[in-house]
Amino acid sequence: MKTEFLQNWDTQLKKGILPLFVLKALSKKECYGYELIQELKLSAGLEVTEGTIYPLLIRLMKYNLLTSKWVEQPSGIPRKYYQISDLGKKALKEMKSSIQMTMTKIVK
Amino acid sequence: MKSIQFKSKSAQRVYDDYINRCQKTIKILSKADKEDCLLEINSYIYEFLANTEAEDEMENLLNIIERLGPPEETLKEAIATKKTEQAIKTFNPKFLFQALILNISNGIIYIILFVLFLLLFCFPVLIVLKLIYPNEVGLYVGEGSFYVGFVDSPVRVTEISGNWFIPFALVISCSLYLIIILLLKLKTKLK
Repeated sequence: MKTEFLQNWDTQLKKGILPLFVLKALSKKECYGYELIQELKLSAGLEVTEGTIYPLLIRLMKYNLLTSKWVEQPSGIPRKYYQISDLGKKALKEMKSSIQMTMTKIVK
Repeated sequence: MKSIQFKSKSAQRVYDDYINRCQKTIKILSKADKEDCLLEINSYIYEFLANTEAEDEMENLLNIIERLGPPEETLKEAIATKKTEQAIKTFNPKFLFQALILNISNGIIYIILFVLFLLLFCFPVLIVLKLIYPNEVGLYVGEGSFYVGFVDSPVRVTEISGNWFIPFALVISCSLYLIIILLLKLKTKLK
């Protein structure tokens, strides 16, 4: 069983690497918010709520790492699809190599 | 925005209340930005409900509202970002003030910009004071000293601007405003 310290550390770690997983998921295919949450759950085992993903997507858009478009739906409730931008792809590459460097230092 | 319709009256009320809270939170945004935020929040609610297999729609609704969190928190980032974009685009001092207030906790640059913004309003005040007290307001030079503003009893200092103080203050105000906008633009570009 994890101690309180380890649980907090785990939460902080997941929170810290969440932008990387979001960029990674969107580098594979464009997604709308709910779909992205499901994708993160399936591919990375991350439990993310709508209240976490929405501000994060806004932040990534602010840094021009993502682009978005509204797509009308038969239900009348449109979906906002997010795509990774060229800048986002570069950022993802750098984030991955940064994580790899850290991992190398950890397992040394 | 198309509202989601619920079978239960209570669920409808809870949904309407949440959307109203969102609307109140984003009231300072432009019409287009408000619509964008509301459409997205509505989409999160709709998609969750449409993809959740449970009979109690009220419980599902309460779950998604809990997952979304308080609108004041969830929409904070969106409001600050969209307001800054609006201020840069429109050059409107009201939007600029709102953008600086919303971003004040986002770094020292916003605190500096806010101080510059407050300084900006000192010059129009000085222009009015110059018209009322022409001998006490101006650019003063003394022994190793230099003042801009109001000097109660100018002793051992000489006022050097005369009536040119008004155009001087206007130019400084406009320059400060442009500097604030440019710094904000630069900050946004250098993300």
